[in-house]
Amino acid sequence: MTTIESNSPSSKLAVPSANGSDGKATGGRARAFSLSTIMAGRARRSYSVSSAYPPNSNPSLYLSPPRSSGDHTFSINADIPLPYPPGSSSLSDVTKLQQFSSLSVSVAQRRNSTAALRRKYEDLEQKLEATPLWVLVSTYLNYLILILYGHLRDILGKVFKRDEYAHLRTHDGYAPLVSDFDSFYTRRLYMRIRETDFVNSKNSMASSDCWNRPITGVASRTVKLLDRTSDDFNKTFSLSGTTTEAVNFASYNYLGFAQSVGECADAVEETVKTLGACSSSPRSEAGGSSLHRQLEGKVAQFVGKPAAIVVSMGFATNSTTIPTLVRKGCLIISDELNHSSIIFGARLSGASIRVFKHNNMDSLKLLLQEVISQGQPRTHRPWKKIMVIVEGLYSMEGSIVNLPALVQLRKQFGFYLYVDEAHSIGALGERGGGVCDFYGISPSHVDILMGTFTKSFGAAGGYIAATKDIIDYLRLKNHSFAYAESITPPVAQQILTSITIIRGDDGTNEGRKRIQQLADNSIYFAARLREMGFIVYGDEGSPVIPLLVFNPAKIPAFSRELLQRKIAICVVGYPATPIITARARFCVSASHTRKDLDYALEHISEIGDTLMLKVSRAARKKLE
Amino acid sequence: MVNSDRPYTVDDNVRFINSTVNSVYELVALIPGSDIIMNYLKESYQHDPFRVVLELFLVFFAIKYMLAKRYKPNDNSEINELVEEWHPEPLVPALSSFDRMNLEKTPVIIGPQSAKPKVAGHTKPLLNLATTNYINLVSSEQIKEKAISTLRNYGVGSCGPPGFYGTIDVHMDLEKDIARFLGTDECIIYAQGFSTISSVIPAFSKRGDLLVVDEGVNFAVQKGVQISRSNVRWFKHNDIEDLERVLEEIRVDDLVHKKRLTRRFIVTEGLFANYGDIAPLSKIVELKIKYKYRLILDESQSIGVLGKRGAGLTDLFNVNPTQVDMIIGSMSTTLCSSGGFCAGSNEIIDHQRLSGSAYCYSASIPAMLAVSASEALKIIQLQPSILTELSERMQSVRQTLKHKSMEPLIDIHSPEMDSPAPFLHIRAKSSFLKLHLKGEENEVSREDEERLLQDVVDECAYQGVLVTRAKYVIDQERHCPKPSIKIYATTGLTKKETEKAASVVKAAIIKVFGKWRRA
Repeated sequence: MTTIESNSPSSKLAVPSANGSDGKATGGRARAFSLSTIMAGRARRSYSVSSAYPPNSNPSLYLSPPRSSGDHTFSINADIPLPYPPGSSSLSDVTKLQQFSSLSVSVAQRRNSTAALRRKYEDLEQKLEATPLWVLVSTYLNYLILILYGHLRDILGKVFKRDEYAHLRTHDGYAPLVSDFDSFYTRRLYMRIRETDFVNSKNSMASSDCWNRPITGVASRTVKLLDRTSDDFNKTFSLSGTTTEAVNFASYNYLGFAQSVGECADAVEETVKTLGACSSSPRSEAGGSSLHRQLEGKVAQFVGKPAAIVVSMGFATNSTTIPTLVRKGCLIISDELNHSSIIFGARLSGASIRVFKHNNMDSLKLLLQEVISQGQPRTHRPWKKIMVIVEGLYSMEGSIVNLPALVQLRKQFGFYLYVDEAHSIGALGERGGGVCDFYGISPSHVDILMGTFTKSFGAAGGYIAATKDIIDYLRLKNHSFAYAESITPPVAQQILTSITIIRGDDGTNEGRKRIQQLADNSIYFAARLREMGFIVYGDEGSPVIPLLVFNPAKIPAFSRELLQRKIAICVVGYPATPIITARARFCVSASHTRKDLDYALEHISEIGDTLMLKVSRAARKKLE
Repeated sequence: MVNSDRPYTVDDNVRFINSTVNSVYELVALIPGSDIIMNYLKESYQHDPFRVVLELFLVFFAIKYMLAKRYKPNDNSEINELVEEWHPEPLVPALSSFDRMNLEKTPVIIGPQSAKPKVAGHTKPLLNLATTNYINLVSSEQIKEKAISTLRNYGVGSCGPPGFYGTIDVHMDLEKDIARFLGTDECIIYAQGFSTISSVIPAFSKRGDLLVVDEGVNFAVQKGVQISRSNVRWFKHNDIEDLERVLEEIRVDDLVHKKRLTRRFIVTEGLFANYGDIAPLSKIVELKIKYKYRLILDESQSIGVLGKRGAGLTDLFNVNPTQVDMIIGSMSTTLCSSGGFCAGSNEIIDHQRLSGSAYCYSASIPAMLAVSASEALKIIQLQPSILTELSERMQSVRQTLKHKSMEPLIDIHSPEMDSPAPFLHIRAKSSFLKLHLKGEENEVSREDEERLLQDVVDECAYQGVLVTRAKYVIDQERHCPKPSIKIYATTGLTKKETEKAASVVKAAIIKVFGKWRRA
């Protein structure tokens, strides 16, 4: 990635023009293979434009501290002592910017403030640090051994334990339900990671498999795990009846609204009493109620669009809306790391799909030039519509979309912009309004704002917000509206009340406090992890903080060690991430106290030493 | 001098060249494996000198190509022009007057959903024949209490997908409850009924696999079939002979072409949402066993209402549930909750926990809704008598609507008096529509037909009964069913009320159909 410089304060949105690095980046279509791309150290990927980058002699290293102090507009509570020696860290700037985030400033004023004008993605961006060579080699070796060993077990098993492998063979005229090849990864790698540590289960320790851990109660600041054991190398589990309480760094409870007490729960209880728990019909038939209308109005108001609809499931919000907006003859341009629901919807739509490099606006620009000038494949007719679909905050990377540049491109090329704010709504921006709020860009620059209620609002379902024309059309054509159940009253009420609190409509400062607490927590946590020498992804301000563990063997080790110390996290490996960058993911919440974070950091540091995870060269350089 | 010098010079040069070539040759020979290439070159030179020249030329060209600078057009003016010229269609088309009508006429319920809800625009509560509230669980105090106590322990949302601390104990309980209720090994729950089957089908059926699908299946199944990218064969709606014909054709085709055995599935619906008829399960199971297919059965409409225990089609036909490989159902219909499920063997359920995209990539359903569904199952199991009550209600609706005076006007799907289906579709008879053709029309347009039915719906609402047209995303359905009014029975209304509501519908049809196009 190149750092794009654009310090001219006069530029209107202070958008770093995506053609900033002209000349270099704006070459024609890249040649399929050229020596210079190899020389520059970039392997070509399957997308036609990705090798067209200007060769960069110094790629993927740590970003230098922000150039100006006004760039961060995160508000930090003054009464919380900052843990950094002033002046030594990039965050020392943060203290200065409290002057920018006065509570008395109105939304419009803030949007037009100097701070908003000068906010740029480049200053929030944390460069993805390259993997050290020996880690890379050892990880690949690690996988090689696992795969060889897996095949060895398969070969021997198929000879000596025919019965256990029966499901992989054609039997009785039925083809196997899962093919041998497809399930190899699941059987030989996933299952091993999920495998219960033998010693642990003998000592009746907390169950130590790493995924699908069952819980009970509310997944809020802490989470109660149901202990389980496995006697058959975790093909099956049995619950032991005991529970373990652990600090929760896994749930997407960004603003801490997963609660069984408090204002939301009270309102929901009242709603269940009066309205029941179900609406028993699709919205288009007889399942729509005044509560839904009220909710939709509130959501539209909250995200800053004229109208909105709500759908009973977050996944379905994407998968049933995208096919109604685009069809054959249209083009969807999608970020390579977009969520499965977007891919699902895009495939259903029948539109052509092209992919650009993650959050890389140069790649997008080149692709746009190519597709618009070339038109549809074979016929070369112009595309009917082009829709660019991105996420606000990527849950696996913690990266925040470069919206200013995208908006600039949208103006230049005239495509439609669809932003999935599943993770960013509530979690980003000074009033929790998502990426638009975060960058101070008017939501009118984005055609479709989509988001879910599962995360920040502690509810379920999703919304689409857009102009009234689009929403009216979706009310008629969205699959969920015609065929699926509508949002149930208790869930609708939870969303309504939590939005009321976030917006401060209830007259309290509660929502603002939560937003600030979340911003504090995420910046603090990520900065401390970086300081310790871990390789940490995620842009500044992201409440999702991935910490790279690389080797497959370290995935379960890290997760189990943390669970023993009563810290619950998610670990993610291939295929959810590239094979090399397996990671542990921390989701910071407003309900975490500084004490929780420090407790976790202390133990993470300890385990990081044991597992040799502190491999960041950037951090070491900084220390020197 | 000249004569004596010349041979000497030549000799010297030759020697020099020879020694240089020799040392290079020795250097090359040091590279392991180079002797193979040298031998090859020597031999091929002797056999076919022209080929060596060609190969050398290719090598030279490859090197030149790699070292060449990338082609960069100097100015982008052409591209920029094209970009400027391009104008996309509007994101959504403008709404037609028919669309506007659809938007305006969608009922909005004020206050609680119930058998007699208040609807915006009407002062009195309407008798509700428009929701899947079959056994009136919407108003069950027992479920409400249970939901509230769950709320106080678990909150509302689960804040995570099942893989990441989103599996709550109440989810596991519900899975067990459903599996026990249906008689299968295991069960997996999804967060939305509609998304369940469109995620289950692609989890198993991949490119190259084969799906044999009933033509009358609902939209969710169609989408699942579409996204699986498998080979699809359709058979005529609920026609067992046609199914057998298709299966036989495939068998013969496989034999002739000696095709590799792939996964093969029969996909059908239990109680068809679009037609109100029931798949002949026992015959399908026979065929499935004979031809060695797996069976995917969508029971979204039939769970909780069909069969003695309410356990759906397997209960109704007394088929062993393990013979149906996947039973997919919805908890949003009879069970008055939200979400969907798939029940089957261990192998089938386990596979979905990693491959069901709507399961893996979506937050799990709120605990209170899972508990509501569990509680609803309990109620059905404890009082199977409500199911008999429900079928009585449906019979009285059928009886009223099958009146002689209605015969020239409407078709009823499905028409059998003893059908256990708790809902029916009313469609205008094509002979009636033909009588009212205007001018040069060959047939009455779908829009006009819908408007006719909407007039009936309006008239019903005016007379105090809430019914609804069946809504479809017309342009995305494979074969969109004819327009219809969908009537659901419910035990929330007494027998008398149901009869009254049905006769209101009947009167409205006679009145509206009578007036239609006379003006």
